[in-house]
This record gives sequence, C-alpha cells and structure tokens, in this order.
Amino acid sequence: MLSRSAERLYWLARYLERTENLARLVSVHMNLLMDLPKGVEMGWQQLIHINGCQEAFHEHYKLAQERNVTRFLLTDPGHRNSLFSCLSLARENIRTTRELLPDEAWEQVNELYLYTKKHLDSVSSRRMRVLFLNEILEGCQRFTGLLSGYMSHDHPYHFILLGRNIERADMTSRILDLSSLLLSESRSDEMRQYESLLWMNVLQSLNALLMYRRHVRSRIKGDDVLNYLILDSALPRSINCCLYEMADAIGKLPNHDKLPEDVADLKNFVQSIDTRQTTQLQLRNILDQLQTKLAFLHERIANNWFSAHSVDDAVIQQEQKAH
Amino acid sequence: MPSIWENYKTENAYDELMHSEFQPRAVSYNLCQYLNTLNKEDIDKRKTAAELAIMEMGITFTVYSDEGNIDRAWPFDIIPRIIDAKEWHIIERGLKQRLSALNYFISDVYDKQSFIKEGLIPGDIINSSKNFRKECIGMKPRHNVWANICGTDLVRDRDGMMYVLEDNLRVPSGVSYMLENRVITKRVFPELLQDINILPIDDYPTQLLEMLSSIAPNQNGRPQIAVLTPGIYNSAYFEHAYLAQQMGAQLVEGCDLMVDDDDCVYMRTIEGPEKVDVIYRRIDDDFLDPEVFRKDSVLGVPGLMRAWQAGNVALANAPGAGVADDKVVYAYVPEMIRYYLNEEPILPNVETYLCSHSEHLDYVLAHLAELVVKPANESGGYGMLVGPHSTAKEVEAFRKVILKNPRNYIAQPTLAISTSPTLCKDILEPRHIDLRPFILQGEKTFVTAGGLTRVALKKGSLVVNSSQGGGSKDTWIINREND
Repeated sequence: MLSRSAERLYWLARYLERTENLARLVSVHMNLLMDLPKGVEMGWQQLIHINGCQEAFHEHYKLAQERNVTRFLLTDPGHRNSLFSCLSLARENIRTTRELLPDEAWEQVNELYLYTKKHLDSVSSRRMRVLFLNEILEGCQRFTGLLSGYMSHDHPYHFILLGRNIERADMTSRILDLSSLLLSESRSDEMRQYESLLWMNVLQSLNALLMYRRHVRSRIKGDDVLNYLILDSALPRSINCCLYEMADAIGKLPNHDKLPEDVADLKNFVQSIDTRQTTQLQLRNILDQLQTKLAFLHERIANNWFSAHSVDDAVIQQEQKAH
Repeated sequence: MPSIWENYKTENAYDELMHSEFQPRAVSYNLCQYLNTLNKEDIDKRKTAAELAIMEMGITFTVYSDEGNIDRAWPFDIIPRIIDAKEWHIIERGLKQRLSALNYFISDVYDKQSFIKEGLIPGDIINSSKNFRKECIGMKPRHNVWANICGTDLVRDRDGMMYVLEDNLRVPSGVSYMLENRVITKRVFPELLQDINILPIDDYPTQLLEMLSSIAPNQNGRPQIAVLTPGIYNSAYFEHAYLAQQMGAQLVEGCDLMVDDDDCVYMRTIEGPEKVDVIYRRIDDDFLDPEVFRKDSVLGVPGLMRAWQAGNVALANAPGAGVADDKVVYAYVPEMIRYYLNEEPILPNVETYLCSHSEHLDYVLAHLAELVVKPANESGGYGMLVGPHSTAKEVEAFRKVILKNPRNYIAQPTLAISTSPTLCKDILEPRHIDLRPFILQGEKTFVTAGGLTRVALKKGSLVVNSSQGGGSKDTWIINREND
C-alpha cells in the first residue's frame, strides 16, 4: 500500500469522524439548551471552547450566540474546522483514494457533501438544522457501516481505524475538558441544580447515556461519568477503548517500529487516572497532557508511515498540462 | 400528449437513428417505438434521474479557467446512439487492422526505417515530428507493440460511410465515460435494455488488465501494475482513478515512484519499496522523466526511461509511440496498411491536404473558407479552424498562422458529420456526433463494443470535445439476428 494513500485514508477517517462529532455535539447541545433556563453558564460559547477555536471565531464574529456559532461550526467555508470544511476535505481525500475503497464509499461521501452544500443556508432555522444534523449523522454511520460490511479488513482499513480512533479520543478528551466546568468549586447554584441534566448531556454527546445506565447502574454523578468515559473498556468512544482500537490497528500494520510501545505508554497513563479524587484543576491538567500525548502519537504515525509530499502551484499547472 | 419527436427534422446529414423525419432505421425501430410511449414528462423524469446519478457517482471532468478549476458534471444525453452489429464487425476489423499497421510503423521508425527508405513517407516528416524520440531508437517493446491503447475517432459522412478522423496514440481518454454511460442508461431505461440485444461493454477493465499483464517484462507470476496519473488537478483524473479501481491496480503519482541504482522502478509503500512491473502511464512523454525529457517536470519519475530501456519495466503506451499520433503521419496510414500488412484498408481516411506539401498548400490557401484546418499535434479540438463556421477575419488570421509553420498544419474537407436525436430541453433535435472506440493491443487485440459517442450539444456545431461544450451518449451495438 502506498504511503501517500495510507496518509489520505487516515485523514479521510479523521475528517469524517470530526464531521460526525461536530454534528452530534451541536445536536445534543441544542437539546440541552432547550431544557436549561437562560443564564446558566452553558451557552453556545461552550461549543467554541470545546473545539478550541475561540480566536478564529472572534476574528469573524462578535457574539457567541446561536446563529453565529452554528454558522461558524457547521457551514462557514472560511473556518477550516467547520463541518462543511471537514466534509470537503474528507471528500478530497477519498477522491484520491477511491481505488482502495468499495465504490459505494465514494458515492456515500460525495452524496453527503452534495447534500450539505445544497443545505448550507437551512442551518439558520432550528427546525431545518435538526433535520440537517440527522442526515449528517446517518450519512456518517452509513459510511462506517458499509466499510465494515464491504471492505476487506486489510491495511487500508486499519489506517482508517487508526484515523477514526485518534480523532475520537481527541474529541472525547475535549468534551471532558468542558465538563470539568461542572466540577468547578465556584459554579453557580443554578448550575448545581441542573447538574445531573448536564452530565447526561455530556454522556449524550458521546452517545453513551444508555450504555452508562446499563453498565454503571448508578444515578448520574460526575466522577462516575468521568471514569466511565475515560476508562470503560467496552464503550466505543471511551478514551481507553479508542486506544485499544488503535493498538490493535497498529499491531496489524507492517513496519510499526516502536509504535506499539508508544500506545502502551499512553494506555498506562490513562489507566492511572482516578477521577474520584481529582479537582477541576487536576482534571484539566490531566486532559491537557492527554491531548499533548495524542498529538505526539499522531506525529509518530505520520513519520513512520506517511511520505512528505507537498503540492504547490507549479505542480498543479503541470498536472493540467500533462496530457 | 405532446411528443418529444415534435418537428424532428433530419438535417443535411446522415441521421443515425432516423431514415427520414418519420421513419426510424431498422436498427433503431425498437428504441423509437419505446420513446413514442413516453411523453415529455416521462422523459424529463428520466433525464433528472440521469443527472442525479451522474452527480452521485461523481462522474466529472475538470475544466480549467482563469477563475480556477471547475469540476463539472459529465454532460450526458440519455438518448443512445445505435450501430448495427453487422456494420460494427466490419469497423472492428478495420480498427484492428489500422492499429496493427500503426504499430508496425512505429517499430520501423525506431528500427530500420524501411518505410522511409523506400520513399513512402518523407524522412523529414518523422525527424520534424515533436513526438519522435531519439531515445527510443533500437528499443523493442514486448510483442513489438508501442501503442497498446488507442482511441480512434470515427465520423460518418453524408454518404453513410464511416471515416477515420484521427488516431489517438498518446494518452487517449474517455473510456471511463463510455463505461459509466452504460451504467446510467441501465438505471434510466431498465425496461428497454432487457428487450434489446445490446453487446455488453463492461469487460473493458478486464481486457485492459490482461493486456497490461501481457506486456510485463517477467511473465512469471502476477505483475505489479500501476496507473500513473499526473494527479487530482488533471482533467482526466476521474478516469485514472476509475480504471485503477476497476483493475485492482495501484493508482500512483510520480512522487510515489522511484528508480533505484538497479534500474528498477519501486513504489514507496508502508512496507518499504515495492517493485513495479507495468506502468499504464497517463502522462505525456514530455513530463515522464526529468532526466531525459523536460527537466522541470515534477510529475514524472527521474530514471524512468533508464528503467524502461533496461527492460525492467513496461510502459503503456511506450515512449515515442506518439510519433504516429500526428495528423501528417495520419495521411500515410492507408499506405502503411498496404506496405506492412499487404492488405487494403478496411476503414477509409478523410481526404487530407498536407500544408508541408507545396501543391496541397496552394489548394488549402485557396479554399480556406471551406476546409477544416488542424494543427498536426494538438488534441482536445484546440487551435483549429472550421472554415465554413468562421468569419473572413478569422480565416485571414489563420492563413498567417499556417504560413508561419506549414509542417504543423493539415486540412480536410468539412464533412457533414452524422447527427443523432438528442434531447434539447424537452424535445429531440438532431445534433452532430462522432465515435471514439478504444483498441487494445498486447499479446492479443481487443476492440470495445462501440465506444464513446461524443455529441456537439450546440445546434449546428461540429465540435464534440467536452472541453468545448460537447456531451456524450451511450452507444449501442445491436445484434438483430436474434430478433
């Protein structure tokens, strides 16, 4: 398998996962805000924080209210981490790796892209936004499903798994970062009053509410939720589970060098986390470290398997003329 | 019920489906019967379904413009073009005959040059061809075949005869659209395809794979085959990816390949370097190897020619094959068929005037307003003059261009190329069409059943190139013997 293809498939999976995560995040957040009274410190600006794009947002928008935030996160083509930008990049990556995937994979991503492009304006209406986000979530799920059912579980597939799970772990850590607000000593009384609702929201953002109820079987409490989302070994979006999937994919790829040890280190780090005793500050510190380690792992993957290749204008011009 | 055939008028040209305004040809009888059962609304639904399928399947081609590259949906006309299998089998033989002669000719050019020595073609035509590559002299590609993949453009004149307009021997494109057109037709007219005996076309990728395998340097085991594309920004990228996928071959860009000290070609893979045996290259000679051709090429592979010359990798088409893809050389193909094969040409050439030839040049300059003048080495319909469709000013400007470099121009009479019913808004109108069949030659020779029919969508236009407002149609070769 070409190094260049491996890189593109890895990014295809990352961008699609990011697309799906953004859709779920906005969708769950909308539901939550419908339940909360105004004034609780859980407004739309939190979505900007989770995605770590405060600066980019404030370059173009003043107020972090619903209309601006949803436009910025979902459809703004100028924001490179908007849902539309991620989907466009996913499409570019699959366009250049079509030959490695089942036919339907390309058609699925292309359809989703065309749908999004056609409905860019409709996200300003709440009702239309719900439909839009559902379509995105279903489309991403269809893609995942058809790969698992149609595609050989070979090297290309393992690069997709690798990309998907590193992106997933990253998003889970971001959502947990935000939920650390709920542990803040200085949180308002109002927030304390709605605490379990907010923790439920955190679980829902990761599609984990029902699983939590079945597995933890306790009322919804902060430290249990944190523990579950970080350490559970069966929940697909728990950090532990993502690391497990990555270790598995890496183990099946050739020339993996010292990467299995890197993942093992990361697993040890995660397993030593004990949320029962942590303060907000400690938790944020741990999550910061985790994100740095994930970024480091990405670097190692890239150096190990991908090729350094950049496209500039001269190349593009020749590509057009070359026959 | 308003009919889509309202006011259909066959023009002053042969119509592929209609004998006259009201009478379909025998071969298109079933199709016309069926179309008669549809009203405008039905047709519109099918058209929309086709457009949707094209968008979803992502069948695009790229148009370059100053405002950047636009990925356009492939313009497709849902009304197929039909050819009788009896006629087709003759054409098929003619195409095989022609490519075989062309390959003998290219081998000869890079070997003894007996065709030139016997005075059948002036030597300076070859020496001055920009596609003649001296680096290829003495090479012997497997099966002595240089042009493994050929796209030959055919047109039918008013007399009903099919003529060869040109042979594309460098990197002919369009075959993926031919295949996808059939897929769309199956979606749009499923009931129709069941009842008519149409020759299938979908084995092309298998045939291509087999041909490419047959030219591998080492015939033991399964060769590693790669399709070399200039990249995503090339107008035919869709096709490169499509063919690689259908063949299960690797789609590579120049940067994915390298030539090592052992003069072998390797791909950069996650498992380290992996040897490549056959490269179906979709890059022009000029860009192929910066060590030999254009030094500034960033798309090619340094050392590729070295590897090819050492016999460690097969390139299809072979470098230098383009020497026969020259509209001046074209004029000599009938003679090549007689010389190398000792046969009479099955498919006629269009009468061609060579501007390098002083008598021809005089004739051309005196009749510019009636002729089509083409540069010898361009493709895509660029840089040509269609006399009857040009203003006096354009004709005069072109006269100067020809005189500056007569070797580079040929002229042909303006043919009344055939028309076929084409959906324009909601009724059928005749539009001019051509046909590009694809011929493969390796150990064996194969011709696609039909080919890509291109249609000039603008009323009266004769230019079918997709870059200039052309579209395409599905092409049906119909076997009527079992009817």
